[in-house]
Amino acid sequence: MENNNPLSPHIQIYNWHISSLVSISHRVTGIINFFTITLIGLWIASLLLGEQNYAFTSLFLTSFFGKFACLGIIWSFTFQIFSEIRHLIMDLGYGFEQKTTQITGLIVLIGPFPTTILIFLIGQHLL
Amino acid sequence: MVQFNLPANSKVEKGKYYKDNTGSKNIRKVNVYRWDPSKNENPRLDTYEVDMDNCSSKVLDVLNKIKNEIDPSVAYRRSCAHGVCGSCAMNMNGKNGLACTKAHSELDGDIDIYPLPHLKVLKDLIGDLSTLYKQYESVEPWLKTSKVNHKENIQTKDDRAKLDGLYECIMCACCSTSCPSYWWNGEKYLGPAVLLQAYRWIIDSRDEDRKERLKKVADELKLYRCHTILNCTNACPKGLNPAKAIAEIKKMLATA
Repeated sequence: MENNNPLSPHIQIYNWHISSLVSISHRVTGIINFFTITLIGLWIASLLLGEQNYAFTSLFLTSFFGKFACLGIIWSFTFQIFSEIRHLIMDLGYGFEQKTTQITGLIVLIGPFPTTILIFLIGQHLL
Repeated sequence: MVQFNLPANSKVEKGKYYKDNTGSKNIRKVNVYRWDPSKNENPRLDTYEVDMDNCSSKVLDVLNKIKNEIDPSVAYRRSCAHGVCGSCAMNMNGKNGLACTKAHSELDGDIDIYPLPHLKVLKDLIGDLSTLYKQYESVEPWLKTSKVNHKENIQTKDDRAKLDGLYECIMCACCSTSCPSYWWNGEKYLGPAVLLQAYRWIIDSRDEDRKERLKKVADELKLYRCHTILNCTNACPKGLNPAKAIAEIKKMLATA
């Protein structure tokens, strides 16, 4: 017999915690990174097709929108790195106390922003 | 694919409004999830105005006051009222907990009371936990030993200490029903409550079935759907750490 009783509300009512925010962002950035790496691969492959293709991509990447996308990608990658380090430590069985998870969670949520700016500045001075 | 929205028959509608008739100046609005199985209606959110000047400190006291003085038809589970039985687990202002140990002064604004998330509702605040109990049974939560002596089965102090933070679990299901992984894969993923219990028997020095127990739980869906979201640890009204217990099982499997 099929159970036609209603389902109690879940994601609609449940509060967000730092740790759940980190978890969902980890997943989202993971998906972004998956596509980004594919795109980077295609971009490199397109170089083989000649100078024109390079110029086209370069035009896009140096445009305002392109730069914005690059920053987003750097943020997404740094977020994954921060979050993965947190995961590695947790896989070793450390950092499960409530206070610790909140502190490490905050580091993971905030840390990628200054790191992104730092990488951007380093890139700007090298180029 | 995961269904984030509630099914059509589960959408919560606006319910009745019960105005205060005591003339109290210290009024608090309490929104309670209601669903009556004998009527063919969607669940609704009833609002009660409660006189807080004559109400004891916990959320369960608020519910008892509503049931005794305003609306006797509200249904919810409760028994010990001291955080030992785990019956009154529910979602209060967006977080799972025991109504009998949660002080209403800790909650901001109006009080919103829902059943534990992502369960089939039996009536009002009572969710159906039969899946969870079946999963609990599947980890065979009892001592397996070949010893048949009729004396004490002795354990060293260190071995006994390993059970601290595990044996206190009262199976209230606050953790499992706070876990998004359990919401989306509740049929297959065992969930934090059951995995903490599984670990409690895996780590028990008197139990001789450790290898089998580990083998049984080592499953892509049963165990590894835990993505350390840590909602379980945040929710546990007894201050236990199911996420750590799960991590310990994963570690044992990785290093075995």
